[in-house]
Amino acid sequence: MEGSAVVVEKLHKIYDNKVHAVRGISFRVDKGEIFGLIGPNGAGKSTTLRMIVGLIKPTKGRIRVMGIDVVKNPVEVKKYIGYLPEEADVYERLTGLEHLRFYAMLRGLQGYELDRAVEYGVKLSGLEMQSLERRASEYSKGMKRRLLLASVLMTRPKLAILDEPTSGLDVYASVNVRRMIKEYVRETGASIILSSHNMLEVEYLCNRVAFIARGRIIVEAEPKRIKEMYGAENLEDAFVKAVKEAEER
Amino acid sequence: MKVLLWKELTDLKRDKKTLFTSILLPLLMLPLMGFIGFALAQEQVINVAVVDLDNATVHNSLLNITFSSRWLLGNITYYLAKYGYNYTVSHTTSIIKNPKIDLMVVIPKGFAENATSLTRVAKIEIYRKAGLQTTSRVEGLIFSIVNWFSDQLSKEKIMALARLAGVNATVEALRNPIIYTTTLVSISGTPVNTAFQIRITISRFLVLALSFVVTPAASYVIDGIIGERERKTMELLLSHPVKPSTIINAKVIAATILGLITAVADAFGLLIYISLSALTYGSQAPFLIDPWLLLVHSITAFFTILVTVAISLPFITRTKGIRSASNIMSIVTMMAVVFFFTALFVDYMRLPTYILALLYIIPYVHSILAIQTYVIGYPFQAFLHILFLAITSTVILYLTTKTLNTEKLLMSK
Ligand SMILES: Nc1ncnc2c1ncn2[C@@H]1O[C@H](COP(=O)(O)OP(=O)(O)OP(=O)(O)O)[C@@H](O)[C@H]1O
Ligand SMILES: [Mg+2]
Repeated sequence: MEGSAVVVEKLHKIYDNKVHAVRGISFRVDKGEIFGLIGPNGAGKSTTLRMIVGLIKPTKGRIRVMGIDVVKNPVEVKKYIGYLPEEADVYERLTGLEHLRFYAMLRGLQGYELDRAVEYGVKLSGLEMQSLERRASEYSKGMKRRLLLASVLMTRPKLAILDEPTSGLDVYASVNVRRMIKEYVRETGASIILSSHNMLEVEYLCNRVAFIARGRIIVEAEPKRIKEMYGAENLEDAFVKAVKEAEER
Repeated sequence: MKVLLWKELTDLKRDKKTLFTSILLPLLMLPLMGFIGFALAQEQVINVAVVDLDNATVHNSLLNITFSSRWLLGNITYYLAKYGYNYTVSHTTSIIKNPKIDLMVVIPKGFAENATSLTRVAKIEIYRKAGLQTTSRVEGLIFSIVNWFSDQLSKEKIMALARLAGVNATVEALRNPIIYTTTLVSISGTPVNTAFQIRITISRFLVLALSFVVTPAASYVIDGIIGERERKTMELLLSHPVKPSTIINAKVIAATILGLITAVADAFGLLIYISLSALTYGSQAPFLIDPWLLLVHSITAFFTILVTVAISLPFITRTKGIRSASNIMSIVTMMAVVFFFTALFVDYMRLPTYILALLYIIPYVHSILAIQTYVIGYPFQAFLHILFLAITSTVILYLTTKTLNTEKLLMSK
């Protein structure tokens, strides 16, 4: 479909001919939509996201981002994607500002565009200039996460893929990051796929969510619809019920 | 590529520890070692005992030659003092039982008598404590003094005999009727000077110096690639629109630049060392340093590092930890070091063709040959060997990065 930012069809990933991490996942994400992946540890969320970014090859299935086949054009498709890995760290010897410049330049930005992106990144990170001029090795975990998230979003990618963007952040920092994400989508009309273990976060941010367990999607709908389906008070209860049901099957 | 290289070099520039170990260490190590060795050698205390059992002056009236054991004694003690050795003049040989005495020189009874005779040989006895390195230097000193006296006496005796016989004779013709001379010539037969010889000696050490540059560069690449994975910066980097091969190439170039800096520092360290030792020993200093040789050395070092990195890259990108990658690396660098060491005493271009043909497979043999052929006057052959290194490393690098994908870089076993 014309309006889809991401189309994933019957995706499979088998690691080393042994671990069947993803077993036939399909979904699509529209432009301007925030799509959430929720699932227990080891469900296959990160594996799915990595395949969409083109970092690992699907064993089977098709992925299109902005109409481009990810497997066939891994470098081309990365121009449209900003990806924040679940575990990402900073370069110890570069300053915060240098990180922003480096990642912006890696996307081919120069001159005015580069300055503008870095400026936006500074704003997104919410870090003081003083901190940004210090080496990133001196940052706290939360500051690092904010810096890296800012570096992912500052170039305004059409699709941002965020693997547990608020993991390890305190309440205030998490609230800030969520606000940052929401604002980003409103300003740019970009699409976002995020994974999370925080139901509140997902409910607050996502237009649609998919529950994943053992490499399969067990439900996919708007958060409100899911709560209705399972007759649950909140998303957390719905999640527990859904996973339990899936295990029994 | 430029951006990635900027990051690598900024990182390197701020990595004081790596810079220190790869520039200052090779630059200072050799001269420092030479200096410390020299300084310590100066500090050594050597005790020499001199025993004159003869204590006689004898005059041979037939030859009209006089010799006194005290002259020899005087000379020996004079030079011992001059070169900083402690000495004791004793009257009994039992002084050698004293553990503090390292060497004893004995002038036996009848020495002066024998020295002036026409039928007997006078003998100096030296007793040297085994296992002490420095005593051999004292022995050398005594030997040269004794030699000088022997020379003088033989000259006087020959002249006296010639006088008695009433014939015209020269000392050399009687004592050393056959001698030989050697002229050092270049590969094309023209005589060469000492500077040329020094160049060749330096070149041998330059080859050896190559072994100090491959290791830091190689471990830098390991750290660059596997470290990026272990420090969790790799995934974010790979999610940007750059080819994995570009990332690897940037790291290889950064490592090679580091290696090159090391190579130059190393060469200068060697030169400082040679100049210093030339100065302290007072032998023909200062001499000319050949900038072309240094250039050839640097270029060879560059490609030697490149080829080392290229060989190890397929393993590095496929192993999990820094340790296992380092182990593989050290096998490769060990091989390099072994070959560079043999170059100290093997002239590779004089090996028979069938052996050389086999050895040509090993890239390091080309590094050795590049320097060895250049220094004896075959710049074109040197160029060919460097070219071989360049082509080999480029091909291996190309094939390695070609078969590389992000998945392998991100998670290897
Ligand atoms: N490199 C790998 N090699 C082999 N198996 C892997 C690899 N990476 C992940 N797996 C396996 O694939 C499965 C899915 O892992 P994945 O990281 O996608 O889960 P996840 O949903 O992101 O979990 P979490 O919530 O803990 O982040 C797990 O069983 C994991 O052990
Ligand atoms: Mg995960």
